[in-house]
Amino acid sequence: MAQVTINNLTYTYPLTEEPALREISIEIQAGEFLAVIGANGAGKTTLCYTLSGFIPHFFRGELQGKILIDGLDTANSKLYEIVEKVGLAFQNPFNQISGSKFTVYEEIAFGLENLGLPRDEIRSRVEWILALTGIEDLAERSPYALSGGQQQKVALASILVMKPGVLVLDEPTSQLDPIGTREVFQVIRSLAHSGQTIILAEHKMEWIAEFADRVLVLDKGEIVRLGTPQQVLSDINLLSSGIGLSRYTRVAHRVNQQKLWPKGQRYPISLQEATEAFGRLLSQEGGSKK
Amino acid sequence: MRDRLSFYILRESPIHRMNPLTKLTLVFSLILLAFLGPVEWLAILLFTTVILPLSFLAHVGREFLSATARLLLPVIGFLFVMQSIFLPGGGTALVQVWVLDITLENVNIAFVNATRILTMISSFLLLLLTTHPSALMSDLARRGVPGPISYTVTSTLQILPQMQVKAATIMDAQRARGLETQGNLMKRIRALLPLVAPLVFGSLVDVEERAIAIEARAFNSPRQKTSLVEIDDRPIDRRIRWGLILVVIFLLGSRLWLK
Amino acid sequence: MNLINSIKKDFNTMTWVLIPVAIAINIVIGQFVVLLKLPVFLDSIGTVLVAVIAGPWAGALTGTLSNIIWGLLIDPNAFPWFPVALLIGFVAGWCAIAGLFKSWWRVVIAGFLIAITAALASTPIAVYLYGGITASGSSFITAFLIQTGRDMVSAVLSTNFLVEPVDKIATALLAFAILEGLSSRYLARFPRSENVAVAKGGRTTQLIVAVLVTVFLVALYALVFVRLIS
Repeated sequence: MAQVTINNLTYTYPLTEEPALREISIEIQAGEFLAVIGANGAGKTTLCYTLSGFIPHFFRGELQGKILIDGLDTANSKLYEIVEKVGLAFQNPFNQISGSKFTVYEEIAFGLENLGLPRDEIRSRVEWILALTGIEDLAERSPYALSGGQQQKVALASILVMKPGVLVLDEPTSQLDPIGTREVFQVIRSLAHSGQTIILAEHKMEWIAEFADRVLVLDKGEIVRLGTPQQVLSDINLLSSGIGLSRYTRVAHRVNQQKLWPKGQRYPISLQEATEAFGRLLSQEGGSKK
Repeated sequence: MRDRLSFYILRESPIHRMNPLTKLTLVFSLILLAFLGPVEWLAILLFTTVILPLSFLAHVGREFLSATARLLLPVIGFLFVMQSIFLPGGGTALVQVWVLDITLENVNIAFVNATRILTMISSFLLLLLTTHPSALMSDLARRGVPGPISYTVTSTLQILPQMQVKAATIMDAQRARGLETQGNLMKRIRALLPLVAPLVFGSLVDVEERAIAIEARAFNSPRQKTSLVEIDDRPIDRRIRWGLILVVIFLLGSRLWLK
Repeated sequence: MNLINSIKKDFNTMTWVLIPVAIAINIVIGQFVVLLKLPVFLDSIGTVLVAVIAGPWAGALTGTLSNIIWGLLIDPNAFPWFPVALLIGFVAGWCAIAGLFKSWWRVVIAGFLIAITAALASTPIAVYLYGGITASGSSFITAFLIQTGRDMVSAVLSTNFLVEPVDKIATALLAFAILEGLSSRYLARFPRSENVAVAKGGRTTQLIVAVLVTVFLVALYALVFVRLIS
């Protein structure tokens, strides 16, 4: 059975008329990495909150359909039960700091104290996650005296230390500089390799191309595409739904507009694919001139 | 970044090692005795023979004296002078100022009031200088103070300095744009709004995301919470607490008896 | 059982996270006011804010903790006055439940009720802990009244009645102005959001109106005060 099943989900926020999500159905397997893309307001954040139980429990509103996570029906469960199965990290690193702890070490332990784990277990888990996320050197610092990238890694560690089966990430790098972004994605990479189920809402296509098993495209609250990154991210039609494709794809598209791109060949989506494709193109051109 | 979040000074001393609840009991015992003790000069006696020596035993004597001077002397000095001059009644005139008589009785009352305040506030100061706020809160949480309350206190200790930094930034920015923080009353009232609005709305909007963040970390879990930090509560602490309670009962009782 | 439910109703996670922010608002605005040398305290705006949207119990807790934290971090002289802050939050919360935070003129009434509470609550503390004349500037008024032959309690009480209304009405109005500036979607997350009737639009005008009303009241009160002492 799939680890996450969403069946015919339609959701409307309170005090609004239009549904934010419409008839969403998808199954996510254990260990899968699903990327969610879409323009601003397409429903990415709403989907993340739905997967992590904050919809309907925190935001209320009207929910139809069913979400099952490890067999737990989220609409009919308590939020505190859901958060033991699904971890959520989101955009603003500053607001994810609990605010009640004076060191990073204590900050990461916060969730485990709430879960009532014994002190030894808390210590061993915190030390494990500090090593996994590569922030051992921050352990005794104040969580507020960190850079955005470091704070976001602390936020990730604070969630991961609770060992959620499913990790939901809502644009975790959108407020970070390039260095912070790279650091956070390095953590996500090692998580993906360790077999963690990850759902990532993101608009940095280069990173999605590298990690994602599947890409889901939302537009106005509906699923408009679902497929492998190679299928989805090379699709130039996505530009019309307000999604910024990677520069590799866009360069290839330009080349195609000038009728220089080989017919029927898929656009590249990553640096590696672009190198190969343009390399072939250039060598063919060199060949034809001879 | 302000590294000092409170009055707390990390030192190695028997008072620092004392359990926070023991120190809190000491504070309340001192206050009760200063205000309700059998004799009026007990307040000044407690300050000179208990609080002051304890502050040196805790190796924070210098800091204690300077904080007392900074925070308390103006208050009790003002109180003493005002009450000496303005309290009505009393027969033994010492000096006459303008139309007012300063009487021995009133100086006495002013002195007692001032020393009571001194004892009350300085005993808190001793607690604050030797106890980390989060240690105090986690000890109280362990003893049944609801977890969210201790969350709220420690969280304020972190948020407040952040907001003060932001406030200073906004203040500078608005001044650079020509906002007047001097001048007449109207000008100063008008100055308040552009200073306060961005700060207040910004920090209120953050509340929603922070609530989500802590719920995501099982803040509302019905499980019995545990604590990472271990706070000592030695048998001697318990004995000191009981001792203090007995002293308070004895002295308050002796007051009734003397009546 | 009813009491427990009433207390429980005030506290959801939003309340617990709002309280620290409200306390920080109390302290930061209080310090701004000192910096700008305004003739008010305005150190309970956050407390009233919580009381209105979360309820009287949450308001009382915010007031109490606010004084405790003021004492912990800035000045231990704040500790003894915590019952006043507690009652300000508590009464503001009941004013809100009674519908006094649904229009501007009602908020002025709420401010007045809060002021009376504060005046009554601070009197015994001033009289019995501080011996009547405390260390605040308004002590000169008390001293004057004592010299005119009033007894201690009535002198302190009159002083408080004179000083509190301006401050607490301004506090209530500013708290209301802040609430009007927040979206109803946001307010709906709090346990007693129905206490606020949010008339949308013209946010800045409303804030300016609040300040103008405050100014007006300061002027009016100064007038009354001059009358009283002459």
